[in-house]
Amino acid sequence: MIEFESVSKVYDGQRPALSNVTFKLAPGEMAFLTGHSGAGKSTLLRLLLGLEKASQGAVRVAGTDLASLNGEKLARYRRRVGVVFQDPNLEEDLTVFDNVALPLRIAGFKEADIPKRVNAALSRVDLSDQAMTSPRVLSGGQQQRVGIARAIVHRPALVVADEPTGNLDPELSARVMRMFTQFQQLGVTILVATHERAVVESLPFRHLTIERGRLVSDDVGASR
Amino acid sequence: MRWLLDHQSAFSEAMKRTRDRMTQFIVVICLLGVLLAIPGWLGQIWLGMASLVPSDAVQSEALVFLERDLDLESRIDLERSLEDQAVIDAITFIPKSEALDALSASDGLSQMTVLRDDNPLPDALRVRFSFVGDEAGEAAVIDGLRSDQRVMSLRYYPSARVQYASLVEMLGLLGLGLSMLTILGVLMAVFLVSAADVVDDRRRIELYTLLGASNGFIKRPYLYRATLLGLLSGLVACVVIFGLNTVLSSVLASNLEALDPELGSIPMDGRILITVAVVAIVASWIGAERAVHRRLHALH
Ligand SMILES: Nc1ncnc2c1ncn2[C@@H]1O[C@H](COP(=O)(O)OP(=O)(O)OP(=O)(O)O)[C@@H](O)[C@H]1O
Ligand SMILES: [Mg+2]
Repeated sequence: MIEFESVSKVYDGQRPALSNVTFKLAPGEMAFLTGHSGAGKSTLLRLLLGLEKASQGAVRVAGTDLASLNGEKLARYRRRVGVVFQDPNLEEDLTVFDNVALPLRIAGFKEADIPKRVNAALSRVDLSDQAMTSPRVLSGGQQQRVGIARAIVHRPALVVADEPTGNLDPELSARVMRMFTQFQQLGVTILVATHERAVVESLPFRHLTIERGRLVSDDVGASR
Repeated sequence: MRWLLDHQSAFSEAMKRTRDRMTQFIVVICLLGVLLAIPGWLGQIWLGMASLVPSDAVQSEALVFLERDLDLESRIDLERSLEDQAVIDAITFIPKSEALDALSASDGLSQMTVLRDDNPLPDALRVRFSFVGDEAGEAAVIDGLRSDQRVMSLRYYPSARVQYASLVEMLGLLGLGLSMLTILGVLMAVFLVSAADVVDDRRRIELYTLLGASNGFIKRPYLYRATLLGLLSGLVACVVIFGLNTVLSSVLASNLEALDPELGSIPMDGRILITVAVVAIVASWIGAERAVHRRLHALH
């Protein structure tokens, strides 16, 4: 599903943020990406989302080299990926329902099909009863779950998360991680960047570690 | 169909965002409207005043007295050659009998009729110069006439515009420069306001990009909002200009009506209103378009 081939990324006039990173992620596989602050986790995910272009090497998703995508094609690619951020980045002017419906509206789903999908996504994250409230009144953990519902509402084949539990207490972050593992059981390919090594090591999933832009360990985990 | 739906949803999105920040929106519109009204009103004064300026202030005139016993043919010849001059607007022939009548009427000397058969006055041509002619062009014509065999003498009444040509030119340039500056300033203001609307929304644009929205999808609501902003502030500007013009008119009218009943009010020039509205819409549209464009580029 995901293929990094000797990927390097150098931001203008700085030491490489990623150097010579190579790994593959099979369809339906779940992997965690850990590393210290500044190690290059976000850079790797930004490459995967086509927000940055690799300085060297190739990033391929489902066989397509992302470097070959531009404009409308890149936008169409992103519509098939789900993204979760550390800061859930919700639109405060919209209700929870409309926030979750956003990817569907962007992708041009028929208005009649939207409620069913949104409600399904909200029930996956246990927020069915908050659909009509404003994100402003939700707790941090609830907001993050809205962000997750938004990332999966259009049933993407690939979900990418950058520190989805960075702002949550340990109990909540364990709960969020459990949600991701549930999506994996539905066949979604998932890559989660985090610096909570402890949580990751307790879970039976693949675990990639980067240090200073280099992939230093690839622990396949108990799932395979 | 899809296209229509996209635009419809972009429009309702723009309206929703406007409703959410209604006070801010109204304040901005009033501010821009007043700003836009400044150059607009200057233009209105400029064009409106032209209708108040007496024509002899801008058009020079010359009375050309013809030689006695000039035959018809050479007179018509002279008129022709004058008509060909670009700086000349109109030529009127004043036969000596008419000149005498006018003179006696203005002097109340009815006994002048005795002079009719032995009219001491020469025939004359009244030459009216064009109101775009310049000093040098007029002087050349006058010199030509002075040295012409067919002309006995002439009187030249240069317009105030020609008399004070260098001063008028300087003031004109100054006015033009100042107007340009105000227009530029106002354009910048409109431009920046509609761009600020976008900068405010940096995070939102990033989010939409990440969720795979096309550039058009992201831009559209901003462009609708910018157009609305431009349209409304243009309208406010028009109302302000109209109001100012009415006030100025009523002040002037009380002074001028005594001189000439036709000067009761300064006519409002519709072109000014249309220009102001169009400029407002275009400036605000371009401001938003460029701001979103830059945002999107920073992301890719
Ligand atoms: N847009 C950018 N321009 C220049 N340098 C950047 C940019 N983004 C990241 N970097 C640099 O690249 C390196 C890796 O940053 P990155 O954000 O990928 O780290 P990270 O592992 O996500 O860290 P954190 O855990 O703090 O989020 C850092 O040295 C950072 O300064
Ligand atoms: Mg990061």
